[in-house]
Amino acid sequence: MSKKFITPVGDEGIYTLDTGSWRTFKPVMLKEKCTNCGLCMIFCPVGSITGDENKIYEIGYQYCKGCGICARECPTKAIIMVRESIE
Amino acid sequence: MNYIDLIRQSEDLVTAGMSACQGCGAELCLRRVLQVAGRNTILSIPPGCMAGAGVVGWNFDNGLKIPVHIPLLDNTASFLSGVTNMYQRKNRPDVNIIAFAGDGATADCGFQSLSGAAERGEKLLYICYDNEGYMNTGFQRSSTSSKGSRTSTTPVGKVQDGKSQNQKYMPLIMAMHNVEYVATASPSNMKDMVDKVTKGIQASKKGFAYIHIFSPCPTGWGHETDQTIEVARKAVKSNFFPLFEVEQGKWKLLDNKNPIPVSDLLNLLRKFSHLSPDDIAQIQELVDKRMDLLRKLSAA
Ligand SMILES: Cc1ncc(C[n+]2csc(CCOP(=O)(O)OP(=O)(O)O)c2C)c(N)n1
Ligand code: SF4
Ligand code: SF4
Ligand code: SF4
Ligand SMILES: [Mg+2]
Repeated sequence: MSKKFITPVGDEGIYTLDTGSWRTFKPVMLKEKCTNCGLCMIFCPVGSITGDENKIYEIGYQYCKGCGICARECPTKAIIMVRESIE
Repeated sequence: MNYIDLIRQSEDLVTAGMSACQGCGAELCLRRVLQVAGRNTILSIPPGCMAGAGVVGWNFDNGLKIPVHIPLLDNTASFLSGVTNMYQRKNRPDVNIIAFAGDGATADCGFQSLSGAAERGEKLLYICYDNEGYMNTGFQRSSTSSKGSRTSTTPVGKVQDGKSQNQKYMPLIMAMHNVEYVATASPSNMKDMVDKVTKGIQASKKGFAYIHIFSPCPTGWGHETDQTIEVARKAVKSNFFPLFEVEQGKWKLLDNKNPIPVSDLLNLLRKFSHLSPDDIAQIQELVDKRMDLLRKLSAA
């Protein structure tokens, strides 16, 4: 707090919400159908889909809001939306 | 580099969890814009959904991994004029100075400061994410809300049938400021958007650049959260949101020779669900007329 009025990139850190808890449906990638095109990553508003150097794409669930855009935009229908269960 | 590789390899500079709604078009565009711009950037986001969603941060935490400032709804462009002049004077033209502002902050409240900064040729990139209304305060109409839109201040009932006025067409108004670069972009055409943001940043080193982005809002427009890209795509394919750029006066228009009917887009959105076939025909006529005008301008 000492630098209260000078906050070039946050005095304390990065403000983050637990948006993964909003989800009622969860996107699940069916690897056998995936062609690694990367379009799901391009259109995910949350940045929850990442790709590695081999262009293998993966969904991270920590912040995914469950909007379903990735499932709808996947050209090979390799992502399905599955209802979250209450455990 | 291929745009998919570029996005895959670039750092997401926005907080991992922000309170924008599921499927928000603006959140998507903000993340992609900053992936193109990179860390050497100062951003200004006026009050609106993107500021309100926590992107400017709370309680001395930041919402971005780069410096971000929240000016007033009215003064984003003049605020950034000061910032860019300071950086130019300190001989730091490498720093990208970017605004990410809603349509209310751009076309209404902040219009005079924007017009002034454009005319002065301030070295900055001003991006408007257009969700056609004051979404953060409860979906009130703005001057960019399309004719017929149901908003909280243009309701549908006995006395009124949604917004009765035509939309103010900002992209052309900005093009007529004769600035370095003006473009429209849509998240459905992501390669085009990445290219335009890249060009916009380059142009902002020489003068004023403006990009107008079509930004679907599932909560305010009334569409399913997974339809965001489809809505944007249909807006482009129907010429409801034409894609063009003007680079130092040189026009380039993406011309759909066989556009889909505008009803294909309108039928997806609950904000237009009350429209009669006559209303839709009127909107189709407006869209066709605007496209004709853009064709003439780009051919001139
Ligand atoms: C001068 C002024 N009037 C009203 C407000 C309240 N206000 C805060 S955000 C907002 C909506 C801004 O709309 P827009 O720029 O389109 O962004 P959006 O919320 O749609 O993302 C309003 C009216 C304000 N901050 N300043
Ligand atoms: S869009 Fe579909 S095919 Fe492409 S990488 Fe994602 S899951 Fe795989
Ligand atoms: S459901 Fe939405 S937020 Fe989750 S990974 Fe798919 S596109 Fe991203
Ligand atoms: S109201 Fe619309 S623009 Fe605002 S955060 Fe929600 S979806 Fe995004
Ligand atoms: Mg708005």
